[in-house]
Amino acid sequence: MQHWPWFVGGAALAGVCVFHWLTLRRMLAVSGRFTAMINRARFGPEKQVEMTAEELRAAMLAATREAFGPDAAPDAPPTSTKPEAKAGPTLTKQQSAGMHLLFLVALLCGGLVSAFLAGGPSFSGGLRGELFNGFFGGKASSAAVLLFGGVLVGFGTRMAAGCTSGHGLCGVSRFQVGSLLATMAFFGTGVLTSLLLRWLL
Amino acid sequence: MRERVGVAVTGVVFGFSLSRIGFSSWDEVHRMFTFADLRLLFTFMSAVVFLTLAWIAIARLTGATWAPRNLHPGTLAGGALFGIGWALSGACPSIAMVQLGEGQLGAGLTLIGIVAGNWLYSVVHERWFRWSAASCVDA
Repeated sequence: MQHWPWFVGGAALAGVCVFHWLTLRRMLAVSGRFTAMINRARFGPEKQVEMTAEELRAAMLAATREAFGPDAAPDAPPTSTKPEAKAGPTLTKQQSAGMHLLFLVALLCGGLVSAFLAGGPSFSGGLRGELFNGFFGGKASSAAVLLFGGVLVGFGTRMAAGCTSGHGLCGVSRFQVGSLLATMAFFGTGVLTSLLLRWLL
Repeated sequence: MRERVGVAVTGVVFGFSLSRIGFSSWDEVHRMFTFADLRLLFTFMSAVVFLTLAWIAIARLTGATWAPRNLHPGTLAGGALFGIGWALSGACPSIAMVQLGEGQLGAGLTLIGIVAGNWLYSVVHERWFRWSAASCVDA
């Protein structure tokens, strides 16, 4: 299959992120979807609380006083008395686990469509590629590498609270310091690991 | 309905694009990381540039603002671990699904690993770490 030239690929990735934001009002972030699904599996569905800004403020005030004593929070009215002030990020409702699953299945379908239009799909037990199969020839060794690599990907992306899409694309493009650091970290260790593989195997 | 269509359409187009770009090929990713072929690197960097321009335009036109991404002690360490995993498995979280769709069934193991690793971190975090680990899905 002929791969797209870089500018076509770059425009496609950017277009997907923008479309995602325009339709869903949230940034594309795939590892976050895994995280949300696992939270759902571990803790059950999240409570969706619908309240106005004023109710939220009253609830937070009560909780603060409960934790730190009755003198902890001043009784003063909120600084902004404008109803539903327009500025600031809006609280978006959490997506359901079914929606996260739908996204992952849609990704799979995207790969399937791509393979289908290229005359496939053809099935292979491991991964395709001369380099991969040259490095990890045996079934057992390639399976071990994929499983171990996958664990590192899951562990690391949850620890960094983002992956290539959330940090690399949508974070860096908004000049977020944390995203820039995370991207430099994963790209740096990716380069080191790949050079080490080429040197060792 | 709008949400469902948005999720499904972005998922399919994203998966298709990743496949056509070659991000789902272990060999291509390896050549990116060893700088043997700069195409994927240019793809990624040009996407970031296009996106920066798009966010600026969207902010101007709609007045939208975005919550900042949080920076915490796990950002660097987690990123570093993820990079090692990406170079070994050839997959970031979305790529495992795309590879499965292409018939590269070994990605099933990567997927199991990703779920296990994510789960493992959530347990480890609760036990030993104190910072808030809010995910990017909230942003």
